[in-house]
Formats: sequence, C-alpha cells, structure tokens
Amino acid sequence: MSPDLVVTGMGVVSAIGQGKAAFATALLDGKAAFNVMRRPGRQRESAYIGAEIREMAFTPGVARQTLRAASLSAQAALVALEEAWAEARLSDVDPRRTGLIVGGSNIQQRELAQIHESYRDRSAFLRPTYALSFMDSDLCGFCTAQFGIRGLAYTVGGASASGQLAIIQAAQAVSADQVDVCVALGALMDLSYWECHSLRSLGAMGSDRYADEPALACRPFDCDRDGFIFGESCGALVIETAESSRRRGVKPYAALRGWGVAMDGNRNPEPSLEGETRAIQGALGAALLSPEQIDYVNPHGTGSIVGDETELKALHACGLTDAYMNATKSLIGHGLTAAGAVEVIATILQMRAGQLHPTRNLENPIDPTFNWVRNKSIDHPIENALTLSMGFGGINTALCWQRHH
Amino acid sequence: MTKTELLDLIARHTREILPGLDAHQFIESDRLADLGANSVDRAEIAMLVQESLCLSVSRVELFGPKNIGELADLFLEKLDVA
Repeated sequence: MSPDLVVTGMGVVSAIGQGKAAFATALLDGKAAFNVMRRPGRQRESAYIGAEIREMAFTPGVARQTLRAASLSAQAALVALEEAWAEARLSDVDPRRTGLIVGGSNIQQRELAQIHESYRDRSAFLRPTYALSFMDSDLCGFCTAQFGIRGLAYTVGGASASGQLAIIQAAQAVSADQVDVCVALGALMDLSYWECHSLRSLGAMGSDRYADEPALACRPFDCDRDGFIFGESCGALVIETAESSRRRGVKPYAALRGWGVAMDGNRNPEPSLEGETRAIQGALGAALLSPEQIDYVNPHGTGSIVGDETELKALHACGLTDAYMNATKSLIGHGLTAAGAVEVIATILQMRAGQLHPTRNLENPIDPTFNWVRNKSIDHPIENALTLSMGFGGINTALCWQRHH
Repeated sequence: MTKTELLDLIARHTREILPGLDAHQFIESDRLADLGANSVDRAEIAMLVQESLCLSVSRVELFGPKNIGELADLFLEKLDVA
C-alpha cells in the first residue's frame, strides 16, 4: 500500500449545513434536523422521520438548465464536488489524470418512483431523458461534464459502505497510477416511500415510537434505540499522493494510512462480529498502527439494535476501548450510500478542529465503558482515527487516518 | 389550431427545457440546435409538444423538420390526420 495518500479537498452537504465551515460548526454545536420527512414521494399515509436538506446553494455560474435536468442526488453531488474541487485546485490538474468514483447504487429511487407515478397513465409521453437518468452512472456523466474530468469515472456499490468503498477505490486508482488525483463521492441516497416502508418492515429503520418527538428518534448506541433514522447527505473527498499535492502547493488535511474490506459471506442485514473485526484489523495492519495509537473512532453506529451491539463487541475484540467515540449519525442521520464519505469528512474536520462533536440522545449507552463524547463537544487532539462502515450484504470497511503535519 | 399557436407552444416548451431562452423572440427559421438544444433537449421538447397536443409522432418523422416552422407544419399535418 502506498504510504503517502492524502486528502486535499473536501465538500459536503447535509441537513445540518452545506459546506465544511457550516457543517463543522453544526457538528460541534450538536445540531440536528430530524422531523417527519416532507420531500414529495417520501410518505404515503406514513410519517417517516428523517433529516432532509432544506435547500442547496449553487454557485451563480451553474446554468439553470443544468439544474433543471439534475436529480436531487446529482444536485448534491454538484455542490459537494464544487467545494472539494475548488479547495484542492483541481483546475490545475491535467483533466486526463483526474478521476471520479461515485459511491452508491440505486441511489435515485425517489426520483424514479415519482416519474413512474407521474407517467403511469400517460406512458407514451415519458420524458426521453429518463433513458439517461435511470442509471446511477448518469451521475458520472453529469459530474464529468460539469468539471471536465477526462480520466476515469464509475460507480461502486457497497450499500451503506459505499462511501468508504469509493474512497478505497479512489485510493487504489491513485496508487496504481491510473490518475494523479481521484475524487471519491459518497452519493446522496434518495429514498422513496417504498424503500422507507421496506426498511422499516425489515426492522432496520427506526419505528414510529418517537413519532411525536422526532428529535429523540435517532439514538445510536443508546439503550432505547430501535433502528436507524435516515438523513440526506453527500460528501466528496479529493485523494492524491502527498507528492502530487506538494507539486500544486495544496496542503493536505490528513493521510489515508490503511484500509480493510471484509465480506461476511451473508446476504442478510445481520452484522458479523468476525467480519467487522477482520476489517478493523486489516485497516490497522495496513496502517502499521496498534489499537492504542488510535485516539478516535468514528463508528458506523446507526442505532440498529443488533448492529450497534456487534460493532462495540468488534471494537472490544480489537482492543479499541480507550479511543474517544461519538456517533455522527446521531446528528445527521444515516446517509446510507453517502454515510462513509460524509463521516470521514466529519472525522477530518474534528481532527483539524482538535474537538470532538457530541452524540445526541446517548442517555444510557449500551456499553458505558467506552470513552463516549455525550452531551457537549470536547477538546481532544486526534493523531490517528479509525472510521467504520458496514452495509447490507455483509460488507465491512475500515479506514485509518492520520493527521497531516 | 393555427400555426402561430403551434409555434407559441413549441417556444413555450423550448423555454421550459432551455430557461436561458426566456427573452428570445422565436421565428419560424429558428433551428433548435442553433439555439443551444442538444439531441436530448430536442427529444424532450418534441415530447412535451406531443403531450400538449395529445399526439404521438414517431421519432423518425421528427428528424425531417429543419427548423421550428417546419416542425410546426409537421405537427399541424398530424393534427389534421388525427
């Protein structure tokens, strides 16, 4: 593994803020934005709770026709990429040596459901652009057109580990010298009523227990949790070698020291202690770091009953009980395909701030022996961090990050 | 429907797809491609016009017209047949 892969640009949009500055402030203030979701196509005699992005601010240069033809996922990709792109000064990189990995599959479900519904009785007049937009790879086309990317661009799918998988794939593309810089995007997963309904009936999404108090519904690692709460988000990270960043005079945020990917060999949503442990140990081993050297863990922590317990057992098994820990999803909800990338951004922003954000609704931790950050943010310098994602279909990913000096 | 009404309809749907043409005064000799409509935009405009007219025209026939005046003529012809 190349030891000198770094992050030089980041862009983010979430329900609690657009852009790194607003996002970091909201995280450290412990802000959240959970409510009964209102975006068209999310409810049908239902009241699913989630954290929705209110509105996105686009740079004045973006043509109206570009936005008109862009799905919600594409619009979020545009704002996240714009921010990361400008920060890393990617306009100075040869477009043929620039790549994009979009993390996520089947991400535009609500948009598709809305189109199907709208044209149910007038199918002869279905808009021809549907032929483009129904594919997730439309995001690759859309973004490469907007930013003039000429290297490589494709999607990778790993359910809720897609964001981390995109980072790993981008890192591999740079390590293999396919491109000089590669942007990893955790794409906004746009759930429709149908996905909400099935995720809840499967027992993965939280129940209506907190229907009257939406702010209390999302409670990772708390004894009263009963499933994940959805949250719209999207994050972009620019990955390149330290040498490449030096050539452009761009200061890195952090180094990607190592990663691990492990499959459980299990199609079902059940987590696996063995798989999670293997992913964590793989990442630590690749990073040449001992568990004692990790001083912050950003866990997957969705609020799933079995998932949260299994994750803590895996951290125990790996000797990671001393590191500080919070749950980013307690503030922004579960972004599914976006989660891995957005939570890495949250980790790196905390690393830069030297502060850790609080965990909302962590009133009775299922395991109080961990070093939880609970009601308010704390000062804590992070030298080495571990970020985790797990997805349906038995995928586990872990990434080790080191502060850039 | 008169040709003027049909041209107005084409102009309205063209502006819907290409909002930058809000202030453009459409004339019969305007070519959608010259106005900035790519092949997907043109297919979208044609479909919106067909829906407004409750009319279905094959994609092949839509390749014929060279400007929006000829496009209006094609739709008028189809409306007559219908």
